[in-house]
Amino acid sequence: MEAAKGNNNRGGSNQSDLSSVVVAAHELKSPLVLMRQLALDIASGKLSNEEQRRVVDQLVHVSEKGLRLTSDLTRAEAVQSVLFDMQPVNAISVCDDVADELAGLYNAHGRSLKRSRIRALPPVVANRDLLRRILVGFADNALHYSDIDGVVELHAQLLRDKKLVRLGVRDYGPALSNKNWRQLVRNLGATQPVQARPQSSGLGLYIAHQFAVSMNGRIGAVRHRDGASFYVELPISQQLTLL
Amino acid sequence: MSEAVRVVIVEDDTWLAEHYMRVLRRSGYEVYHAPHALAAIDVIDQVVPDVIVLDVLLTGTTALALLHELQSHEDLANIPVILATNLADQIALDDVASYGVRRIVDKASMQPEDIAIAVRSVAKP
Repeated sequence: MEAAKGNNNRGGSNQSDLSSVVVAAHELKSPLVLMRQLALDIASGKLSNEEQRRVVDQLVHVSEKGLRLTSDLTRAEAVQSVLFDMQPVNAISVCDDVADELAGLYNAHGRSLKRSRIRALPPVVANRDLLRRILVGFADNALHYSDIDGVVELHAQLLRDKKLVRLGVRDYGPALSNKNWRQLVRNLGATQPVQARPQSSGLGLYIAHQFAVSMNGRIGAVRHRDGASFYVELPISQQLTLL
Repeated sequence: MSEAVRVVIVEDDTWLAEHYMRVLRRSGYEVYHAPHALAAIDVIDQVVPDVIVLDVLLTGTTALALLHELQSHEDLANIPVILATNLADQIALDDVASYGVRRIVDKASMQPEDIAIAVRSVAKP
């Protein structure tokens, strides 16, 4: 089952701005709570050397996650008022960058992020940084929803008839309930954060939507029996065909 | 020698769960982890714990659905539950006591040992 939205409704009000702030605050609370607990655990002096190394490693990854979120929020706000460079981008190399960037995080969770079904693709018209941020966000989210010891896959495929490239992240975890799926479908193109999964504030999807729309793309989701895929579709570059 | 008190932690943040497990094991508890409600049902059914530590916002389904499920099983309905949540300021103990919830712990302000103290306070001797 699949759902996608790409409308470019950028209207906002003070009320929705306030909602966004509340959601952002809620989203940042989880990493801060975890960091505090880990720091207190280290301070207790009760950890073995090995445990201490592991907890410090977790602290670094959790703080990086929080920093990614604040950086994405700033960027998402900026895309509404600033034009970004768009250029032909090699989508496969962006997938490689994302897999490399998150390898340490996945490894620390005992999971792996694999590139699959990625074949030669034409370049897409995109802003490389925004595309990377979308995929990092999806992969970061998938880590949370994948089963322990599980694999998360990065996909890229050409949709020939639509002249689009679809880049997605597939997780293997608890299936979305009908209620949550309907909510997600309703809100994929929302102009403010909406809850996508029970634990989620929906902020990640909101940010990904903002980034995708600013690149004339769209985000979507596919529900599987054993998890979900979240993807972004972007137009392929026609530049080479003009030569 | 008496058997160790068995605790099942239902928490989808694996690193926070790992933290709880470290603290509880240091205090001598036998600890099990389930990352989401569906897994929790299996683990609880298998272990029949003395105490359940439950996050409220879980992947897949909410804690309330799990609490409902537990209440529908005679052998599991009386297991004391501790809610460990970021939403502590929004949940009144009286509202959830009928679901077996005996304590609510605020993740944002708790000290690491608070989880062990809460377990000790509800575990039957």
